[in-house]
Amino acid sequence: METQTIIQKFILDELAKGRKKTIDVDDDLLGEGIIDSLGILQLVAFIEEKFNYTVPDEDVVIENFMSVSALSHYLDQKLASKG
Amino acid sequence: MSYRYLLHAAIFENAQKIPDHPAVRFQKEELSYLQLAKASNQLANFLISRGVKRGDRVGIYMNKNLYSAVSIYGILSAGAAYVPLDPFAPIDRLSFVINDCQIQFIITNDQKMEDIKEIISKTSLQGLIGVQSTSEIDVPSYSWEQIFSFPSSSPLIQLVEQDLAYILYTSGSTGTPKGIMHTHRSGLSFAEWAVQTYQISSEDRISNHAPLHFDLSTFDFFASAIGGATTVIIPEGFTKLPASMAKWIQDEEITIWYSVPFALIQMLERGNLESRDLSGLRWILFAGEPFPTKHLRTLMKTLPWVKFSNLYGPTETNVCTYYHVAPLPEDSDEPIPIGIVCENTEDLVVDIEGRPVAEGEIGELLIRGGTVMKGYWARPDLTEKGFYRRKMFDYCEDIFYRTGDLVQKMPDGNYKFLGRKDRQIKTRGYRVELDEVEAMLLSHPTIHEAAAYPVPDVEGSNLIEAAVILIEGESISEDDIIKHLSGRLPSYAIPTKIIISDDFPRTSTGKINRRQLQERATRRINS
Repeated sequence: METQTIIQKFILDELAKGRKKTIDVDDDLLGEGIIDSLGILQLVAFIEEKFNYTVPDEDVVIENFMSVSALSHYLDQKLASKG
Repeated sequence: MSYRYLLHAAIFENAQKIPDHPAVRFQKEELSYLQLAKASNQLANFLISRGVKRGDRVGIYMNKNLYSAVSIYGILSAGAAYVPLDPFAPIDRLSFVINDCQIQFIITNDQKMEDIKEIISKTSLQGLIGVQSTSEIDVPSYSWEQIFSFPSSSPLIQLVEQDLAYILYTSGSTGTPKGIMHTHRSGLSFAEWAVQTYQISSEDRISNHAPLHFDLSTFDFFASAIGGATTVIIPEGFTKLPASMAKWIQDEEITIWYSVPFALIQMLERGNLESRDLSGLRWILFAGEPFPTKHLRTLMKTLPWVKFSNLYGPTETNVCTYYHVAPLPEDSDEPIPIGIVCENTEDLVVDIEGRPVAEGEIGELLIRGGTVMKGYWARPDLTEKGFYRRKMFDYCEDIFYRTGDLVQKMPDGNYKFLGRKDRQIKTRGYRVELDEVEAMLLSHPTIHEAAAYPVPDVEGSNLIEAAVILIEGESISEDDIIKHLSGRLPSYAIPTKIIISDDFPRTSTGKINRRQLQERATRRINS
C-alpha cells in the first residue's frame, strides 16, 4: 500500500473513531478535530512501527501533520532519503 | 468615560487612545483597536436590526480567528450575552445548550456547515452569521460583507454592570451541561484585577490558547483589552503540536502565556523549548488543574527569567486565589499552593456543617466578592445549592459561592489545595482523598501523569483504581508502583489495580477525563 493510503486508513479507523466517515487527503486533521494531541502521539507511534522511522520531535509540526497529503509527502521524502 | 463598568468599554477607549495599536492577531493578520471597535459596532447594529435585544444570548461556534474578537465585542455592544459553543462538542450537547438558553443566532463559518445543518434540525435557531446563504440551509444566513455595511456608530443601548455578559457551559455532575452566567461586573472584577497584578500594558502580547468556552479565555481577551495589549490567538492545529506551539510563542513574541499545565508540559517534553528565543516572555500563568511540581521545576529551570503564577478558581468565581511561584526545592515534590485570595475577594473556610474552621484547619473554601457568577442559567435549584447565605457583621445576609474544594491555610498564609470535596470517597469504610493517591503516584520518578478514580465493587462500596502514563523511555511494573505506594499511603488507599497506559482520555480543555476512565473500568468489571 502507498504511504498515503496507509496513513489515511489508520487515521480513519483508529483516530477519527466514527466522527468522520471519510477523510480526504487535504482535510485539516487538527483544525477539524479529527485528531487531538493524543492522536498525534498514536500516529507518531504507528509511523514508527509501520515504516520503521522515528519522527523527530522537531518534525512533529503543523507543516507536516496538517493533512494526510502533507504527512505522506513528508514521510515519502524521509523514507526515500533513508534508502 | 470617567470609569469603566462594562466589559467591552476598553476597546472603545483604546480606539480613541491608541487607534492603530493591534488589538488582536491571528495567523499574521490583525485588527487595530479602531478596526475592532468599528467592526464590533457594525455587528451590534446588525444584531439589533435583526431583533436581538438587551439580555438575549448569541452563540459563537467556530475555530477561533479574528472574527472571534469581533463576535465577542459585537454581541456585548448589542447588549446581549455571548455563549461560546465548543467547536468539537457532540451535536446533541450543542443542541442542548442552544435550546437551553434559547440562542436564536450563531456566528459561525463555512467549516462548520455540515454540523450546523444537523443542529438546525434539532433547535429553533433563526439565523446564521458569517456564512453566505445557500438553499441547503432553512434559516437566513448573513455574510460578514453584509454586516460590515451597517453603521459603525455605537448603538444607543443603556446597560448596567449587572447585565449578563457571557454564559459558559460546563459539565454538570449528572452529565447535563450547566450554564454559568457572568455579568459585566463579574467579568470586569477579574479582568481589572489581572491587569494590575500582572502589570499588563500596550507593550504586551498575550497568548490566547484556551478555547472561548473555557474561562481562561476571558483573561486573554478582557484583561488584554483593558491593558491596551494585543491578544494573539493561537491557531487550533498548533495547540496539538508542542513543537509548533513553542515556535509560535517565539515567532509571535508572546510576553504573557496563559494555559492549562498540560500544554506547558507537552512543550517542555516535545517542544524543544531550550532552542527557542523566548526572551520576551515575562509571565507564564497557569490554571485549571494542579501543575505537577517536578515538571514545573524543570520548566522553571528551562526558562529562568520568566515569572510563574498559579491561578485558582472555579469558573463560577473566575479567579479567586493566586500564587506567584517561589523557587522550588529540589528534594520535595510537594504540590505548590494556590496562594492567597485576590484583592476585592473574601475567603471563608467552613467545615461540613458550614461552621468556620480554626485557622489552619481543613475545610471547604467559600468565596464572596465581585468575581462571583450571577448563577446557573435557568437552574435556580443549582444556584441555590451553589450559594451559601451567611449573616454578615450581624446585620445583613450575603452570598458566598461554595467552591466544593478542600483547602488548608498554611502558616505562611498561602492556601494549600487538597482536592475536590467530592473527590473524597469512601472505600471499605475508610475516607480516601483521590488527589492524595495521585500525588503519591506522581512522586515516583518514572511516572509522568496519574489519575485515580473510584470503581464500584459488588458490595456497594468503592474500590480505587488508577491509571498512569510513564515518562518516555522509562518502564516499571504495576507491582513496583504498588511497593512505592505502600510506604506512603494507608493500605486501604492503595489502588487495587494500576493500569500503565500510553494515553488518557481528555476533556476538550485538556484536563484528564477521569469520568471516562472510571466508566471504562466500571464496564470492564461488569462485563
